[in-house]
Amino acid sequence: MIDATTLFTIVLMAGVTYLTRIGGYLVLRNRTLSARATAVMEAAPGCVLISVIAPAFVSRNPADLLALAITFVAATRFSMLPTVLIGVTAAGLLRHLVG
Amino acid sequence: MSISQAVEAAGEGSTSEFRRGVASCAPVLFGTIPYALVLGAQATQKGLSIVELSAMTGLNFAGGSEFAAIQLWTSPPHIVLIVAITFLVNSRHLLMGAALAPFLRHLPRRKMFPALFFLCDESWALGLADARQRAAAGITPAFSPRYYMGAALAMYLTWVAFTTLGALLGPMLGHVETYGFDMAFPAVFLVLMRGMWKGVAAARPWLVSLVVAALTYLMVPGGWYVAAGAVSGLVSAWFFWREA
Repeated sequence: MIDATTLFTIVLMAGVTYLTRIGGYLVLRNRTLSARATAVMEAAPGCVLISVIAPAFVSRNPADLLALAITFVAATRFSMLPTVLIGVTAAGLLRHLVG
Repeated sequence: MSISQAVEAAGEGSTSEFRRGVASCAPVLFGTIPYALVLGAQATQKGLSIVELSAMTGLNFAGGSEFAAIQLWTSPPHIVLIVAITFLVNSRHLLMGAALAPFLRHLPRRKMFPALFFLCDESWALGLADARQRAAAGITPAFSPRYYMGAALAMYLTWVAFTTLGALLGPMLGHVETYGFDMAFPAVFLVLMRGMWKGVAAARPWLVSLVVAALTYLMVPGGWYVAAGAVSGLVSAWFFWREA
């Protein structure tokens, strides 16, 4: 069952989301950036990623903070899969134990 | 040696590149699946039908904005509010596409328009990290479209399939968050950031982003923290810059 208003909302959501996906590419595709602008763009991916996960760093749950610290240390040493397993296990166990 | 083996041995075979992308995405899916189930279950509680939910995750395909939209969902939905929040949460894609643009110059636009539909945090970060590693190793072109599409399609199919499954299972699912799967995202992002690490000086904007995003998250309701953190990090990168 599809409601017309719901479908309209979903299509608009999809439209603006697609515009964000192609916008940056279209604007910068044929430009040559200055050294300074290049340095800014090189910092961009890390800035976006850390901003997305920033809420985890200010969790009010001590178990979450401890699990994040463990995940952080794991991320400096191990590859993707072990780090994910360590992080998820630590978060699951610590939430169970610490509360 | 068969032809396919020869191609795989060369490391540039279309199948092997695609498969490499799917494989590198596998640890990410570990964190995605529980979230997809939760989103689907929440959507049915808000009155969306399974078809509507699948249409949303299949056409929009941006998890953060879908969670926000479902939280704000009413019947009938407040269209302007939901579309504005969707744009706000997804505005980071503008930056992500811009960061990827230099690696995409050799590719025709008609190929990039469909490929960019599948741009999400994970496929972008994997594709960009891979392109930078290949560039450092002297491989040209650095960006591997098939690697990117492998990671992107694995994410897409998983997201749509498991949000739909979540809607089907609905109330049978408890609070998946309590099991710790959400820690998969910090884990994935931190490993990707280690791959981008170029010393303390280059990482100062990241710290600015972290602090501003965290404070914004604590003080301002809604999805503003991502945009605030990302933009302040970029502004700081502009001011930290010194002529080499």
